[in-house]
This record gives sequence, C-alpha cells and structure tokens, in this order.
Amino acid sequence: MSEATQVRRSSLISNLFPSVVSGIILGVIGAVVCGLVVGALVQDNQDAAVVAAYTGWTIFFFIGIGAFNGVWKWGFARRDPTHAEELQLAGQNQGLWRYFRFTTDHKVVGMQYLATVLFLFFIGSMGAFMIRLEQSVPGAIFFDPSTYNTIVGMHGIIMIVSAIIMISGPFGNFILPIMIGARDMAFPRLNALSYWLLFSGLPIFLSTLFLGGFPTGWTGYAPLSVQELTPGMDAYCFLIIIFALSTMVAAMNILTTVLVLRTKGMTWGRLPIFVWGVVLSVLLGLTAFPSFMVSQIMVLMDRVFQTSFFLAASGGSNWLYEHLFWFMGHPEVYVIALPSMAAAAEMAAVFSRKALFGRRMMLSGLIGIAIISFLVWGHHLYTSGANTPLDAPYMLDTELISIPTGFFFLGIIGTIWRGKLWMTPSLLFVCGMLVNFVIGGITGIYLADLPTDEILHGGMFVTAHFHFTLVGSMVFGFFGAFYYWFPKMVGKRLNPMLAKLHFWLFEIGFLGTFLSLFYAGLLGEPRWSANVAPSYAVPNLIASLFAILIAASVFTAVYNVIITLRSGEAAEANEWGGKTLEWTVPTPVPLENFEHLPVVTSTPYDYGTPSLSEDTEGALSPLPSPSQPQAQAEG
Amino acid sequence: MAEPNIEGNGGGATPARGEPNHIRRAIILWVVLSIIGIVLVIVTTPVVLPPSASGLGNADNFTMAMLTVLSVPVALFVFVFLGYSVFAFKTNGRPTEDAVPDKPRPGLQIGFMGVTSALCLFLVIWGLFAFYQETSASSPRPVVIHATAQQWMWTFSYDNGATSTGAQVIELPVNQPVVFEVTSKDVLHGFAIRALGIRVDANPGEVTTTPQVTPTQTGTYLVQCVELCGLLHSYMWEAVKVVSPQEFNTWVISQGGHP
Repeated sequence: MSEATQVRRSSLISNLFPSVVSGIILGVIGAVVCGLVVGALVQDNQDAAVVAAYTGWTIFFFIGIGAFNGVWKWGFARRDPTHAEELQLAGQNQGLWRYFRFTTDHKVVGMQYLATVLFLFFIGSMGAFMIRLEQSVPGAIFFDPSTYNTIVGMHGIIMIVSAIIMISGPFGNFILPIMIGARDMAFPRLNALSYWLLFSGLPIFLSTLFLGGFPTGWTGYAPLSVQELTPGMDAYCFLIIIFALSTMVAAMNILTTVLVLRTKGMTWGRLPIFVWGVVLSVLLGLTAFPSFMVSQIMVLMDRVFQTSFFLAASGGSNWLYEHLFWFMGHPEVYVIALPSMAAAAEMAAVFSRKALFGRRMMLSGLIGIAIISFLVWGHHLYTSGANTPLDAPYMLDTELISIPTGFFFLGIIGTIWRGKLWMTPSLLFVCGMLVNFVIGGITGIYLADLPTDEILHGGMFVTAHFHFTLVGSMVFGFFGAFYYWFPKMVGKRLNPMLAKLHFWLFEIGFLGTFLSLFYAGLLGEPRWSANVAPSYAVPNLIASLFAILIAASVFTAVYNVIITLRSGEAAEANEWGGKTLEWTVPTPVPLENFEHLPVVTSTPYDYGTPSLSEDTEGALSPLPSPSQPQAQAEG
Repeated sequence: MAEPNIEGNGGGATPARGEPNHIRRAIILWVVLSIIGIVLVIVTTPVVLPPSASGLGNADNFTMAMLTVLSVPVALFVFVFLGYSVFAFKTNGRPTEDAVPDKPRPGLQIGFMGVTSALCLFLVIWGLFAFYQETSASSPRPVVIHATAQQWMWTFSYDNGATSTGAQVIELPVNQPVVFEVTSKDVLHGFAIRALGIRVDANPGEVTTTPQVTPTQTGTYLVQCVELCGLLHSYMWEAVKVVSPQEFNTWVISQGGHP
C-alpha cells in the first residue's frame, strides 16, 4: 500500500462538502426550482411538474454529492488520477464519513447496500404487517381502500427492489471482488454511482405518500397507471427508471470485474459458485431491466405527453404493457434467485466441511435456469384472453425450469449428506430455504399448468406461491448469507442464539402465514383485496396470527444487529473455516484488500482431501492443513 | 423416483464397519412417508378443495389433486434426506475434521435428470390434454352472456335482452352451456367465477371469451374481479345464482328480456 495521501479533511465544512448532506440540499433546491419552472410554463399538467421536480432532484443530488467532481480533472483523457487520488476517492482516512460520500471503495459500497437492504426490508415488512392487519377481518376496517392499495404497492415494490439487490448489492460488492482476488471493482466510480442512483430513487418513491399514493400495486399495470387520478403514480415510474439504471450500471460493473480482474490462477473452473451465481444473475438483469425501464418511460409519456401506448381508445394496448413488464418480471425472479441459491451452495459446503456435491452439475443447473427463464414470461398472460398458440411452449419452458432447479437441490442435499454439519444460523437458513423452496417450486407447477392456472391465476394462491419462492427461499438465503458474511464485513460476531431464534420464529410464522394463504387461494380469494370477502375470513385470520411470529422475528433480528454493533465481540479473520479468498484477508479488510495479490492453486471446496480438484491443469500444491485457505501469498 | 445411491466416490468414502446404512434408512423412510402422504392427499383433497359447480371445475379439481399426489414424493425426497442429514450428521459445535468428499456418479446425474424430465413432460402433456378437453367443448346453442367491466362494477346483458347492472345478482340456468364474452370500458379487469372454473381478463377494446361451461349444481356463487383495477377493486364482486330453467325464465322476464 502506498503512503498516506497529503490531503486531509478536518473541518466540518470540508466534511459536509461534498457528502450526502450537500447532495440532499442541492437536490431539494433543484427539485423545487425545476418543479416551479415547469409548473409555471405548463399549466394544468401536474405530472409534468412532478416529473421535472424528480429530474431536477436527481441531477442536482449528483452534483451536490460530488459525482461529477473528477470530470474536469480527469475527464476527456486529460490525465489519469494518481494512486493517491484514487485512495482519496476510496475514502482513505475519512472515518465514518466515507459511508456518506461518493466513495469508490467496493467495501464501502457493499456496506451502504447492506444498510439500505436491511432498512428497506424493515420498512417493507412493516407494510406487510399492515396488510395482514387489514386482511385479518372482513371489510375495510383499518385502512380505506385507497390507503390499502398504496400500502400493498409500496410493500411490493420496496420488497422487490430490495430483493433484487439483497445479495448482489452487499455481498456482490463487498465479498465478490475479494473472492476473485481483486483490489476493487473494475469501475469503482460507476460502483459508487450505482449505489447513489438507488439512494436517490428512494426519496422519489417515498414522495408518493404526499402525492396521493398509487393504485396499481407493484406491477403498475397500464392503463390503470395512465389514468389521471393522482400524481403519486409518477413516483413509481420514476423510481423504476432510476432503479433500472442503477441495476444496469452495477450489473455491467460486476460482469467486467469478474471477466478481467480475477487473480492469477482463478480460472473459470476454480471460480467459487457464489461468483457464478452473481454473474449469471447480473447477466439476466442486464438483459431484462431495459424492458422494464422502457415500459415505465412509455407510461410516463402517456401521462405527461398524452401519448397513447397503452390506451385502447387511441390505438394502444394493455397487452403491450403486460409483455414489456413480464419480459422483465419473470427473469427478475431468477435475478433474485440465482445469487441466493449460489450463496446457499457456498454455505452448505463450508458448514458441512465437504466439497460441493457435483460442482459442475450445480453450475449447469444455474446456467440452465438463467437460459430457460428468458422464455417463460408468457405464462403471466395465460388468462389475458390473448390465447396465443405460444401458450403451450410457455408452459413447456416454465416446467422445464424444474429440471435445472432439481440439480441445485440434488447438489445441496448431496453436499450435506454425510457431511460434518455445523448447525450455525446460516446452515439453518439454508435448510429452511430448501424446505420452503420445494413448496414454492411445486406450487409453481400448479400455476404453470394451463388447466389449474385457469382457476388460480390472479388469486391468493399466486401471492402465497411467490412469497414462498421469494421470501421463504431467497430471503432465507439472504439471511443465511447475512449471518455468514456479517463477521467479515463488520468485524463483529452476531449473537448465535438470537440468530437461531430469528430463524425459528421466521420459519414457523412464514409457513403458517403462507400455507393458510394457499388455502385462501384454493377457495378462490383474489389478490389485492382491501375488503376480504366473508367466505375467506378464516384462512386470512390464521395467516394474520402467524404473521405476528414473523414480526417477532424481524424485531429479534433488529435487536441482534443493534446489540452486536454496540457491544459485539470481535470476529476472527476466518470465522467459519471457509476456504474462499475473502477469509484469507484480515478483518477489518484493509483498503486495497490484499498486500500481495494471491495465486490460486485449487478449487475453494477441497475439504477432506488436499488435492481434490475437478480440473487438474497445472501443478497442484498440496496444502499442509485442511483449514488452510485455498490461496498462498505470492512470495 | 427410484434414486440410485448417493454414495461415496471410490474407496475413500466407504463407511466404516458398524456404521448404519444411512442411504437405505433414508430411502425406506422416504418410501413409507410418501405412501402415507399420497393416501392422505387422496383422502383429504375432496374436503380441502372447494366444491365445484361445473364439469370444468371438476376437471380442474381433479388435475389439482393429481398434481398434489405427484408432488408428495418429490417434496418428501427433499424433506427426508434433508431432515435425516440434519439429525444424523450434525456435529457438536465447530467440526474439528473435514468430511469425506464424494462426487455424484454419472448414473445418478443421468437418472435424476431422466426422472425429473419424465415428470416434467408428463405434466406438460397432461396439462395440454386437459386444457384442450376443457376448452374444446362446444354446443351449438350456448347461452351467451356479455359481461362488461368498469370501475367498479359488472354489467351483464343476455342475448335474450335481459340486463343486470351493478351490485345485483345474475342467474344462470342449470345444465345449459354458457359462454361469457368479456370486455372492459376503462382499465384492465379480471372476470372469474371460481366455482365454475372460468377466468379471463376483461381488456379495454377487446372482447375475450371464456371456455364454454355448463353449471351442474344449483346454488349461489361469486363472480369476482381478479385484476387490480383501482380504488374499489376488492368490492367488485357479485352473486351468480345457478337456478332451474323455470326460475331462470322468470328472472329473465323480470330483467326485461324474453325467454
């Protein structure tokens, strides 16, 4: 590592500028000015003023936070930043302030993502409990239908956004570069950009609360979203545009990092499966999200410029929206799933002290899922009335996904079979994930099959199904990864008893809640009901009662994190005995990760025998002890 | 799903003498539990699934039961092997030594893929076949009912002139085939009668038809909106009464139609 930089920041003023504080101040000023100017220029078009205000906020927020500060210095090929300047950008010697700046260090970005994900999960789960409260009894008792619809929509979109970033954001940024032996991401400043884009979208989205909310739920179906009811809908569209940009920037960055920054010896065959999962996920995201962004731009154009992409009366079609939306909407499920499944495989190997059972088989499973998932979106339109001849291929593709998914199950079960199982909270969450994923996957077959979908589509059964796959499987995988990598990222040890309590409350509450919602769905209850019909009262009440356990689990986890941050004991550098590279670096991880870049000589799963490696290219250096990590420092 | 052994790869993984044969135990457990599970599913399905009022609904319910029977062994495969591992192989605290590594034999991988593919293809073929049977039924003179959705109510008009608007009851004659032609005046709505097993979106600017359905049980059922359509979406349901042809004629006349 080079000598410390000469620049030091000390006074409060130089701490605040540039930082997120100056960004927000400038952003708010920009939003007000743009909103007022456009509002004055274009009378009687609230949406134009609102969208202008959002645009102003975004641009001036990034000016204020200093995103463009380097452009004049280093832009237009004048000169490259020096190493000292790069370290300065990466937040060297800036203490906690580095978390509130446009900091390029991948570990800072990872922590920012982690804090954001946890915050969003907390907010989103509060929305979920409000929904369960309203649905516990028939009739609209606690919220009026308009408020209820907004709560459902906000819960949905907050949870979807945070689930998309939950693994690739925190762990993909913090852990992944260390895992492949890199000092930082390929494009560190784009990395900061992707996080702050996400951040700048959140106030925009929350502003919907002051603009009347939005009635469409998270799917934002046109033409309902085009109806001139409230300007709250603009917040949803704008968030999606910003979020899609953020995800695409992050995806490109992660992809490039893995392509070019792997350390010596880190061949594709030795790449940890977690890295594969994240790469496949961002590849999917990179191709799927543009269509979501385009659909929201079209909705905004319909709203602001009175175009008619989706208005049947003027030649548009709501089916167009549905296709654009679900072309993103179904691959997106696998954008969420792949990194979570890969992280689960990683944890299963470490906590069974056993090599992955059929690493190539599991990889081909993940790759197969990634490919097939592009061809299934049409099953969301089975009952749209379009009745295309493609319904049968969509059905075939959808059910084909269960074959590569089966590889994943076989691999994980084979890994823990006859392993030395260390029942940590992470492994508990992996087991819970498998149990819930089986239920979620099998119920997916009911929805993929045309005759049964005919009665279940758009009902509570669908809600329960995708909560089983997204929450029960993928969020469980996230929490497993959270307990697994938290000691590395934060340097402190979470209380394992509280973590296990978190798991059991969550799992029991989750099964109770959503199994009863399956039953409500079988009875025929539609989704999105502010007013539960009396015939569905019993399963809804049971679901709401079990949701209390989930609420208790949320607060257990929050309490655990708070007491650990305040007074947790320090974690070891290799807390769990893992063999991937992130466990070879000290905790807390130094600014450029490695003193010397490591040279990789084997797969990270060579438990048991020192030289068990699927690829035998090059000389394998036998490692002295089983707990020795896979890398040896370069001499 | 007769799984080949998930066993150690080569000599290194041979279990020590005296150690129980885990794989045999788990498979026996799996088979026994699967049989119990399948019996339970067959016994409880008629109780759990809501009664259906049409042949279409009956067929849907049957497909549902069949899928559940098939999924019992699949789910139990994961539950049993996972649960068995957790109980049999867990260590007390941090493991001090590594487990013996093993790899899946090619036979296991091919067999697993074969079984899952066969299941998959069976489901697809079954689904297509069942769907074709359900939708291809046609009788020369079905009762045609035009259902028009708008925020937030249904308007029904019959070919014979009867109409029903907003928060009222519509009636259907028992044992006569019915077809709904569905459209919307404003945004996307979803037209669904769960008990009859029919559902189709109400698209603005398009007329979509449900499969031909013959109600077989008299009774009162619900027609519901199943696509989020704004503020009062969850209030957008009304009653469908399946009645005898005589009652139906009386009702048609009372609604301004001619029998």
